Amino acid sequence: MLNTEVKNMKDMKNTVIETKDLWKKYRGRAAVENLNLNISKGEIYGFLGPNGAGKTTTIRMLLGLITPTSGSIEIFGQDLRKNKLQILRKIGSLVESPSYYGHLSAVDNLEVIRRILDVSKSRIPEVLDIVSLTGEEKRPVKGFSLGMKQRLGIAAALLGSPELLILDEPTNGLDPSGIQEIRSLIKRLPLEQGITVLVSSHLLSEIEQMADTVGIIRQGQLIYQDTITNLQQQAAGEMRLHVSDPIVALNLAGHCGYDGALREDKLIFSRMNDARVALLVKELVENGHSVYRVEEHRQSLEDFFLQVIGGGEA
Amino acid sequence: MSMGSFWRICASERLKMSKSYIWLLVILSPAIAILPGALSIRDGEEVTWGLLLSVMSVVHGLLFLPVLSGIFAALICRYEHQDGGWKLLLSLPVTRMKVYLSKYVMIIALLGVVQLLFLVCLLGMGWIRDAAAPVPWSILLFSVFGGWIACLPLAALQLAVSQGWSSFGAPLALNVSLTIPNILIANSATYGPYYPWVQPSLAMTPNGQDGFGAFNLPLDSLMIVVLGSLIVFLVAGLFFFWRKAV
Repeated sequence: MLNTEVKNMKDMKNTVIETKDLWKKYRGRAAVENLNLNISKGEIYGFLGPNGAGKTTTIRMLLGLITPTSGSIEIFGQDLRKNKLQILRKIGSLVESPSYYGHLSAVDNLEVIRRILDVSKSRIPEVLDIVSLTGEEKRPVKGFSLGMKQRLGIAAALLGSPELLILDEPTNGLDPSGIQEIRSLIKRLPLEQGITVLVSSHLLSEIEQMADTVGIIRQGQLIYQDTITNLQQQAAGEMRLHVSDPIVALNLAGHCGYDGALREDKLIFSRMNDARVALLVKELVENGHSVYRVEEHRQSLEDFFLQVIGGGEA
Repeated sequence: MSMGSFWRICASERLKMSKSYIWLLVILSPAIAILPGALSIRDGEEVTWGLLLSVMSVVHGLLFLPVLSGIFAALICRYEHQDGGWKLLLSLPVTRMKVYLSKYVMIIALLGVVQLLFLVCLLGMGWIRDAAAPVPWSILLFSVFGGWIACLPLAALQLAVSQGWSSFGAPLALNVSLTIPNILIANSATYGPYYPWVQPSLAMTPNGQDGFGAFNLPLDSLMIVVLGSLIVFLVAGLFFFWRKAV
């Protein structure tokens, strides 16, 4: 779709995650199909797709929890198969539902991880403070609300001061204020600490509010990968012209520098300003076309997402 | 394999265990063994260390040691199965081999503590009942140590099963159903030496009434059954854990 642009972006910035032709098959059925992810340093990458599209499967492969059927994964420019430990040391993650040891307190949960990561003890109060769990740290985690468990999971992911944070549906099951809190936390991280974030969600609004780049996955295939700004532009709407002889008119418009398409006998152009609309109509009329109707069609991002997910064009 | 990271994983395992009720189980069997030790009477004869050892180790070796091997393994995997612990643990910079071996070390360390407590109870009982001096140290220590060694393959099998099955009950059911036949097999000269679950009992029970063998397991049986099954179970468990999809 916009692969060349994505490639150029990648060359300019540093790539943190790059997957090549990644496949995961379960008994012949592909859960992830030919996936080529490209995630640059310091960005928030929104991994968007309906439930069961393959987001978690992809993330589990990125963390080495399951092995790909084929394809390669490079993180920080290193092959995951060869340098798994060095790579994992620089990743903090939260996969699916929060993981925790219910019989232990929040502090002990973090201590369990700290002993393995071998970081300073002072990191524990630091990360508890970041996710605002200070004051609750001595209670057994099994008594925590889902939101608190989720926050503890993020604290655990931050414990080793990672360069890459992988958060799978971090706002799942949270109340609106919890969602808001986590969202602002995620947005802060790249700015304050230069962390790259991969965040998955099945909600477009979530991703739209957090991410710089979005990758949309459907039935295991990455069907869209671009910046959120471009996504918004594409979804911004279109001009539809109803004219007497659409095929000839489209050709003419093309000659005049208007890139359009034909759909249901109407000329479709991306959104343009009034002056350009006026000029186009003038050209058409002067060349003997009858312009019956000029419509502006606005499409919400949600519509666009559903259209992409619906798979009309993929 | 760097040992530093291995011991760090062990330290982490210790913390996970410390706030659970696993310690109650460690005391359980030695405490129960006190009972036959206190009640055993032999008409007119004085209490000997051999007598105490044989009565106290019966239920302990035949039933509790094999069953505890399974319970410890199941408990040590339970908190990983419950709330995504495997995901959490295995997405940290650890190798699966070290994680698996650290869990195994925890299980056999717990069994070691059980055996030490058993020894303490046995010595205490001998002291209270005024058993004939001197204390036959080599026999007691070989019995306790041999029982521990004989548990190693059982622990390896149970860890293999417990890491694979997310259910807590299923590995225990398997363990108990493999332990129950001990009651019959223990007395069988034909099958006894070759059944792994009966080895802890055979290793702990003194041979014969009067003269004890220095080591209670015949050497070939120890080598073939205990060591052989240990290697098979440990390697198989590691193999499946290596390939486990988390």
